[in-house]
Amino acid sequence: MMWSLNEIEALSRKATRGAGYAWGLAEEAGRAARWTCAAGWPGALALAEVLTRNDGAPAASLGPQALGETWTATGGLLCPIATGATLCDLAADWAAGRTVTTGPVAWPLLLVPYMVWAADRTGAHLSLHWQGCTITRGDGKTHLDDPGAALDCAQTDTVHLAAAEARHGTMLTRLYRATPMPQAIAILETFAQRTYAPETEASRLTGAGAGLSDND
Amino acid sequence: MDQVAQQRVPPRDPDTVMTLARLGAAHQTRLSFMRQLLRRLNRDDWTITQTSFDIDAGGVGHAIYTAQGPDHAYSLVAFAHDLPADQRSDRVIATAWDATFTLYDGIPTEADIARLRDNVPKQESGRISDRELSLSRANRSVRLWDHVVDALSAGHQPDEDQVRAVGYLMRTTAVYGSGKFGAADREQTRHRPECAGPFQIEMLSVYLTRCFVMDLVEHMARARSPGTAVPLDPALRRRFGIGNSTGLGMAPFLVNHPALLNAWVAAREEALARVRSQPAAPEATAQAFRRFAARAQIHAEGWHSAHPMQIQKCTDLRSDMKALMAHLDTADLTTDHPWNRLWLWGEAHLSLEGQEQLASLLMEPYGDLVDDLTQCMAADEQASFPIDGTMPLVRLRDIIEDIYAWALATDWTARKAQARVWYTSQAKLEPRLGERALEPIEPYEQPLGPGRDAVLAHAALKDAPQSTVAEFLLAHPQHRHIARRAQIAARLPYAEIRDNTLSADMLPVDMLRLKLSFFGACHFDPRSDRWLRINMFQHAPFPHELAETGDDWTLPPLPMGAQ
Repeated sequence: MMWSLNEIEALSRKATRGAGYAWGLAEEAGRAARWTCAAGWPGALALAEVLTRNDGAPAASLGPQALGETWTATGGLLCPIATGATLCDLAADWAAGRTVTTGPVAWPLLLVPYMVWAADRTGAHLSLHWQGCTITRGDGKTHLDDPGAALDCAQTDTVHLAAAEARHGTMLTRLYRATPMPQAIAILETFAQRTYAPETEASRLTGAGAGLSDND
Repeated sequence: MDQVAQQRVPPRDPDTVMTLARLGAAHQTRLSFMRQLLRRLNRDDWTITQTSFDIDAGGVGHAIYTAQGPDHAYSLVAFAHDLPADQRSDRVIATAWDATFTLYDGIPTEADIARLRDNVPKQESGRISDRELSLSRANRSVRLWDHVVDALSAGHQPDEDQVRAVGYLMRTTAVYGSGKFGAADREQTRHRPECAGPFQIEMLSVYLTRCFVMDLVEHMARARSPGTAVPLDPALRRRFGIGNSTGLGMAPFLVNHPALLNAWVAAREEALARVRSQPAAPEATAQAFRRFAARAQIHAEGWHSAHPMQIQKCTDLRSDMKALMAHLDTADLTTDHPWNRLWLWGEAHLSLEGQEQLASLLMEPYGDLVDDLTQCMAADEQASFPIDGTMPLVRLRDIIEDIYAWALATDWTARKAQARVWYTSQAKLEPRLGERALEPIEPYEQPLGPGRDAVLAHAALKDAPQSTVAEFLLAHPQHRHIARRAQIAARLPYAEIRDNTLSADMLPVDMLRLKLSFFGACHFDPRSDRWLRINMFQHAPFPHELAETGDDWTLPPLPMGAQ
């Protein structure tokens, strides 16, 4: 089924919250899923797997332990939602020439939108690189160079972020619709359900404040 | 600094503008979205045509209205139904309606109509595509509908008092846009000039809905009695708007779109500041203002509500308008910064309702000065979304102390201060408001209490060992949401409601009214503290009348002799 990008974003935001992430991280994950779907990548699947893996995990185990030159997680595998957030937060550092190398990361393609926002915010050209796959963002354009088809790997041992000198590969053209895999949507919907309060008669009658009849 | 710059009146302080009580007194203005739309339709010479009207004598079938602009056509596809009274509900949880609509991007084919007939009548449980830009539904005002059909079919006009008392034949109960239920996302159309402004697609859909509803009621009268039926008198026809029932769902929108909220309010405040900064005014402009004020007085007299809260506000507004008209009898409106003097008089003598009505009136004669601000009312929300993590933590603390000073002065240990919880129900994902102390809903709380959240973040900042925002948020991700809001509000002064959205005293209708006033709605009629009815496009010219009427339609006309 075709989905609008708004639907993907709203579902992903709720699902991320439902999996126990803070609202601020969930807002970003929603937009990251939207961005990756608009790139034609399996963003919904990536998010569904990340949420399944990290369901209920302590927040402190998901992101980098310290913000030095190498980022690693106490939980073993960096979560792209928590890591991407910090990566975007430090946009000014990357624009100023600082670089970072990570330890193992789940679904590195979910880091791409955060890098894109960092590049767009600062005007810097930035790139992410893992397993022979390089994604570069500059001047509002994204280039993908991925000869070994490593873009949608479920995890990678290391990711490198740096200011980009040159752009390689092909320029991405954005899509306006998403075609997520049904099983990914099913997982996200299960997580999103956790954010909805169960229906009660009292809530139905008073929570929205209106009567039920419109006959006047 | 030269003399002109010294006399420039600055926009109002956000601490003054962004309180719930003042948002809840907002009035439509020249910048409102309905007025933007009709100015464009007129300026760019749009044609609006009923291209299909296939509705039987029982009122069941479909109709199409196509609006053709310079580069694109948009078609309202309307389905009319025969709805049993016991299914007529204006709640989101309803499952059937008197009429259902979609705005199609272009001119639909027969196959499109067949597809839409299978989906649009189901609303939320149907599915539309990226060819559709909106999805909406409406119910009849049963009393007035029956009266109008009875009258017209018997060959005479409906009773003016009954028309005045209700003001519309159908009211919409939701108008969905931007990617909802499979519709096209906003980025698919926002590069088109007619779609760039906020809610222009939704306003076009409602304007065309009004055309359809008026045609439908005349059709029903003819179907009942072809030999005697008459159409509505054109002047009376203009008095019908489209009603709208708006519930809680719209209130979170303002909190969830801080950059957009800022764009709307900043445009309005800049418009007011521009008019107040005029050193003098021509006599003709002063006379025009007096006429607008007299018409606003008629509008205030005709504004009815059954809700005690709004009855009081309407009473205040009527006495404000009397005071204003008396003041205008002798006031000098042409020299020595006349509009700023008038504004300052209003601040000293009028209730919030009267002050905000005055703000709207001051813009009326100054289209040349303020209408260009409509171009600033959209927002690139992505641009303000990323957090600046390299910001020193002390700076974030300073921002919170500035923007949320009201919240830091609030006693949050008082039960009343955070009595409410905003949450989403499983039932059709309806937004609701509950009582924190009485219902087990806190685990489902939506992040719609920025003041409370800012105070929590401020407390955590106090003892934080980190030096940058990024380090702090890595350790405390629960504060990311409010850190982003604070950074946005530091750049965009009207982004944040500077009031307690969780308080026992909070009235959701205040938030609804602000949004609806930017739409251009009038006659706000709260039915409780959390939903209200309004009238849209009342007095608006129909398509064939656009060129003649122009933009001057929102306020009721003066009686013939007084013009």
